[in-house]
Amino acid sequence: MSNSYIHAEGLCFSYRDNDGKEEHPALKGVSVDIYEGEYVAVLGHNGSGKSTFAKLLNMILEPTGGTLVVGGMELTGKELTDDELLQLRRNVGMVFQNPDNQLVATIVEEDVAFGPENLGVPQPELRKRVEDAIAAVGMTSYAHHEPHRLSGGQKQRIAIAGIIAMMPKCIIFDESTAMLDPNGRKEVLDTIRLLNRDYGITVINITHYMNEAAEADRIIVMNDGLVLMEGTPDEVFAKREELVAVGLEVPQCAALIHELRRRGVLLEGTGISTPEACVELLQRALKART
Amino acid sequence: MDKIYLENVSYIYGEGTPFEQTALDGVSIGIRAGCITGIIGHTGSGKSTMMQLLNGLAAPTSGKVLLDGYDVNTTFEDVFDAWKSLPEYQNLSKSAAKKAIRTEIRRRRKELCFRVGLVMQYPEYQLFEETVYRDIAFGPQNMGLSEEEIRARVLEAAAFTGVDTDWLEKSPFDLSGGQKRRVALAGVIAMRPEVLVLDEPAAGLDPRGRDYIFDGIKRYQRETGSTVLIVSHSMEDMARYSDDVIVMANAKVLMHGPCEEVFSRIRELSDIGLDIPQITRVMTMLKEQGFPVSEEIYTVDAAVEELYRLLVKGKGGNAT
Repeated sequence: MSNSYIHAEGLCFSYRDNDGKEEHPALKGVSVDIYEGEYVAVLGHNGSGKSTFAKLLNMILEPTGGTLVVGGMELTGKELTDDELLQLRRNVGMVFQNPDNQLVATIVEEDVAFGPENLGVPQPELRKRVEDAIAAVGMTSYAHHEPHRLSGGQKQRIAIAGIIAMMPKCIIFDESTAMLDPNGRKEVLDTIRLLNRDYGITVINITHYMNEAAEADRIIVMNDGLVLMEGTPDEVFAKREELVAVGLEVPQCAALIHELRRRGVLLEGTGISTPEACVELLQRALKART
Repeated sequence: MDKIYLENVSYIYGEGTPFEQTALDGVSIGIRAGCITGIIGHTGSGKSTMMQLLNGLAAPTSGKVLLDGYDVNTTFEDVFDAWKSLPEYQNLSKSAAKKAIRTEIRRRRKELCFRVGLVMQYPEYQLFEETVYRDIAFGPQNMGLSEEEIRARVLEAAAFTGVDTDWLEKSPFDLSGGQKRRVALAGVIAMRPEVLVLDEPAAGLDPRGRDYIFDGIKRYQRETGSTVLIVSHSMEDMARYSDDVIVMANAKVLMHGPCEEVFSRIRELSDIGLDIPQITRVMTMLKEQGFPVSEEIYTVDAAVEELYRLLVKGKGGNAT
């Protein structure tokens, strides 16, 4: 495997009540590695700790215990300087759930320029970065539009462009497709895949959608503040009972294979996560019959 | 008997402005009483506009929306026509008569809000009370019910939606997103609406949260015999929960009928760019490879049966 970009060991975090007395542990010792250039999906029901984990990765929240190294920078066990924090946030960008909460300017290109401008990127590089970022998400013809008139999927792509313009190493998507319609979701997922494949950006996609998680190289499943399992989508979705027990499910095509096998049908192969793989597996069995 | 009937309904946003947009274009459709009807379609197909017309939140630009045969948008003339022959009305002075009619219109509008309950998208953002109990009680309180009756309604609604009784004295803001959503749904169900209309009730929830919401809706519908309309993007969810399905496209009704009937036209649905269930894609691909499977399959269970038949029972020749 290539270099680990994110290395967490025994990572803990507790939320405090308003009066600061009671602690609610959200992460109870997460140990996990995410490698450079990898596309990882994080699954888990509401309250499993997956969003908390994401917020630790660029120090929106500070860990209360354990070790966390991001991009070679040790984040735990010391106070970070402002410069270190700035560098971290530049390297690890985050796209949130609500498309309406992330746009700040009244023109698309100004919105995308917000980040790099604040980093002090000089002209003409700034202009080039903004243009490239907007092109990367396929929104060039909307560069002079008003963001509030765009669709949800388009708004999310602008939010993504705003992060790309800061040239990050890693982007975390925290349920970024949850509020979108099927078209918008597809636009964002296509963009995520492209950024990972063509730009080599490490992607962490936190999601409730099993079909979305099936697109990743690897899935990390969280439950009750811990990593329950990790593996390729095929490996993870092979453990249907365990997933159902923690309030998750498998994609429909994987459910089909599981159910046929449960009824005694012999189906060879491990590809169960995507319709294409599942069809291949069924095809072999059907051909053998005829 | 149709619970709701839309008679040649059109709705135009920003009529007469450069932004004019037809959201509904001459829609005539009846919605069966005591059923769950799913409304699917693209963003902008008119489905959300349609639901806003059902309880008078918006009035159609033209056409009528009938609930149990009566127009939901009471006009001055409607009341006047109904009253003009009554002696009590004839005895009123002109100004008193006008006032009485206006009061009657307001009364009917209010009543309509209780009869047709609307659950908007992300209803948890509309919670506002100090406790879960008071939030759920808000609707019944406005209906002018007694304290005992309100209490009974709150507990009943909480049971339907899976709101734990332990939460009732908590602040709604201390609950998780999925829990808040259930509280918001309970707030509408507590009014015991004859018609429950929901816009994307499971959006953004995890699988368990989604099941809680849909199971709660189904329970309410079954036990009270209410009519339920669910606007959704998810054909997978609608295949599981609805009796009838309406497919909207370009401000018109493209299809309407029992779930099996509509989903059997899966190719047309796919052609208009709807997100067809993954399981249907699997079956379509197998069919394209020349295997004798039906493409008209939209649930995992049906696909299991179909493939089990081919792989175990027969040699695959008896596809019907």
